[in-house]
Amino acid sequence: MKKIEIQMTVNGDIFELAVSPTDRLIDTLRQDLGLTGTKEGCGEGECGACTINIDGKAVLACLMLTVQADGATILTIEGLQKGRKLHVLQESFISESAVQCGYCTPGMIMASHALLKQHPQPDEDLVRQGLANNLCRCTGYERPVKAVLAAVDNYKERADD
Amino acid sequence: MIDTGSTIGKSFKRIDGVDKVTGAAKYATDLKFNNMLHAKLLRSPHAHAKVKQIDAAAARKLPGVKAIATILDVPKVLQYWFFLRTPKKEKQIFLRDNVVRFIGDPVLAVAAVDEQTAEKALSLVHVEYERLPAIFDPVEAMKETDIKIHERGNIAFQVKKELGDIAAGFKKADVIVENTYHTSKQKHASIEPIGTCIADFESNGKLTIHSSTQLPHWSQHYLAGALGLRLHKVRVIKPYTGGAFGGRCGVIHGLEVMCSWLSRETLQPVKMSFTRAEDFCATETRHPMMIKMKTGATRQGVLTANEVEILSDTGGYGTHYIGVIADCMSTGIGLYNIENYQFSGKAVYTNKSMCGALRGYGNPQMNFAQESQIDIIAQKIGMDPLQIRLQNYRKKGEMDPILNERILSNGLEECLQKGAASSDWKKKRTRQPDKDYIKSGIGLSCMLHGTGAARALPDPSSATVMINSDGTASLHTAAADEGQGNRTVLAQVASEILGIEFENIEVSQPDTDITPLDCGTHGSRQAYCGGLAVRDAAMDARKKMLVYATEMLELKKWDHLSVKNGVIFETANPGNQIPIEEVMRKTQIGDMGICRQIIGTASGIAPAMPGYYGAVFAEVEVNTRTGDVKVKKLTSAFDVGKAINPDFVEGQIVGGGVMGIGFALTEGLQYKDGHVLNPNFTDYRILRSCDTPRIEPIIVESNEPSGPFGAKGIGEGSMVNVASAISNAVFHATGVRSKRLCITPEQILQGLAELK
Repeated sequence: MKKIEIQMTVNGDIFELAVSPTDRLIDTLRQDLGLTGTKEGCGEGECGACTINIDGKAVLACLMLTVQADGATILTIEGLQKGRKLHVLQESFISESAVQCGYCTPGMIMASHALLKQHPQPDEDLVRQGLANNLCRCTGYERPVKAVLAAVDNYKERADD
Repeated sequence: MIDTGSTIGKSFKRIDGVDKVTGAAKYATDLKFNNMLHAKLLRSPHAHAKVKQIDAAAARKLPGVKAIATILDVPKVLQYWFFLRTPKKEKQIFLRDNVVRFIGDPVLAVAAVDEQTAEKALSLVHVEYERLPAIFDPVEAMKETDIKIHERGNIAFQVKKELGDIAAGFKKADVIVENTYHTSKQKHASIEPIGTCIADFESNGKLTIHSSTQLPHWSQHYLAGALGLRLHKVRVIKPYTGGAFGGRCGVIHGLEVMCSWLSRETLQPVKMSFTRAEDFCATETRHPMMIKMKTGATRQGVLTANEVEILSDTGGYGTHYIGVIADCMSTGIGLYNIENYQFSGKAVYTNKSMCGALRGYGNPQMNFAQESQIDIIAQKIGMDPLQIRLQNYRKKGEMDPILNERILSNGLEECLQKGAASSDWKKKRTRQPDKDYIKSGIGLSCMLHGTGAARALPDPSSATVMINSDGTASLHTAAADEGQGNRTVLAQVASEILGIEFENIEVSQPDTDITPLDCGTHGSRQAYCGGLAVRDAAMDARKKMLVYATEMLELKKWDHLSVKNGVIFETANPGNQIPIEEVMRKTQIGDMGICRQIIGTASGIAPAMPGYYGAVFAEVEVNTRTGDVKVKKLTSAFDVGKAINPDFVEGQIVGGGVMGIGFALTEGLQYKDGHVLNPNFTDYRILRSCDTPRIEPIIVESNEPSGPFGAKGIGEGSMVNVASAISNAVFHATGVRSKRLCITPEQILQGLAELK
């Protein structure tokens, strides 16, 4: 199949790639760029483990073709941390014990990141709605919801996100 | 017991937290090796058939295809580690035949340079099947004699046990209640699908497997047996795992053995990953059960007799079918003091996906039936459901008739009292019925679950503690952490005993070349069994360390020393002290006459299999127009002996609570002619963040004398009695008694219609 040349910015770096028109974005991120923090739980857009941010919005990387991301600015879990300092959401997921197996965690954090960008002061209901696309089988959601609420006060939108 | 109050009972943050929030944690699905091949399975389209012939010539010729393995080459593993006890019994674990027993049963695997080529190759394979009649209904399977799913028939296992005199028990009863209950085929639904491994067979004859297994060492044994290898040539490494809940109890049907065989053929690493649909359709599930129960009680609420008959549907193959029924028996009999008890259980094969272990084992099924029965009796004799339980539960000091041991700790009464107070039970239970079409109700139920399996299965635990020359320590254990937080909890135990700060202890991932023999993670065992092994290994290292320190502090006896926060000191004269670091540097490197590392080890079986207890209070609202049941709140009180890490215990209680709500209301595989109708998260509904009610966790600590710092289990029990509490609450709200899980709106509406 003929490859298509695209360009995208991922976690601040610009990538020029030749991809097949059928390549899924999740595979490009995980296989080609080695960004395995984005997880696949179903491949059908139901579990949210592959949630990333594109241009500030939560997107499911398993439902998007890589060619559709031509020109996009992508943020994955690997890009959230700046240097050695964890992002406030990452810190709060640890301090609130919101992580168990951790497989849904990157997607949850990226969904929360997009949520807080849009709604800097959400109440619990809004957080529960914001995480409703992200299945978790371990925590029962109580702690992740708490973690997002705990991050609200310290959350500052960063210019380069 | 050493307890300086430094680490035990404190909610330390998980040692793998940073790895998991940054995306750095590598799960099996994330691993990639040079020269790696990708494998795919061809699965049976028939529920029951004989494979007559496999024509894979065209597939073999496809460029990029490297090897093909079929069920004619590779044995199936009917894993149950009880059978590993003798070489003769071990043979029962392996089955090589040409029969497929459910839709999705693996027939053949292709390894190719990439997934697309492997998939294309599958489409070129032609399999000739001789179709056999299939049985889907366990009742039919039990009676059917012409259609045999396995050579020895359709009854996989049966057991009968009688305590007291059942007829006399019913004679004493003023009330007798008899009902039949059904439970669903629940799926683990861990967010990392079950079924990824990488097998790497090298030309030196060594097989390394990277697999998200709960039981690394038993997987090592199964693989050695299936491939004819010695144990030292099989290395199982467990990376991070995306949840397990019993679904990864050993090797996965069609996964590791197939990949290992393909890797041996090609001498290249082979990776296989199941899709979510494969996870739903072709990996193990909870055993659906039909439970007939006849229960008798006096007007005063004394439970006099219980007669139980279980039919358990184990699907196309049996793995845990014995243990699951045994668990129904031990938890059912163990919880209440019912003098006359008759238990019979049968597991039968049907042509559906195989069943295995799932959080709670057989207990959630049994608990649903028994806790419903007790609720019905309480209502018939006009007794508070709380009171009848308080009156009948088996207390501390009483004998457990199955284990034939005394109960050393039981905090059930405290669970009931605290749960009742916190949920405002009395008031909510006795208030006037709603006039509105939305009816609210509250129900409760109790549970007992065993910690570990010391009285039931080979259940070893081991640990090695190595103290480094700078006073830090490394802990090696195969206590597989699937997300619960075992590695963190075990680091707390080691830290407490060694007097080395928590952050200065590193804990390994399981690796059978390095970590000593451990049964792995099942049966809520790692805080208790793993904790005991780590405690003893740390005690061993501690003593060795203190012996050297005694000399350096110019004292006579090592046990006159204490250690805390990295400093060793004379207990009676704390000013006389020396840092661990100084002692370790000197013994390991500084003093060239010693040059010895302090290494502590322990290995063995836990001294007991203590029960842990719980009471769940469920509050529901039932919409009598739509039949919709909404859980408003769970108050879940669990006696865990001692919470070494309270945050993690709460995590289990809340997470198990939500899984229990799913078991009660939404979850279960649906079948038509052997096909799974709902192999995805849209049609198989696990709860989402917007669906979950408030769950209030209450930790009760009864201090189990045999446990490390008093601890016992929690992981499985937290979901066991949630469905029964919800069902009892639905009855309180509406008068509709559900006898089938999950409780659907149709069921409620039909029940309401029957009441009129």
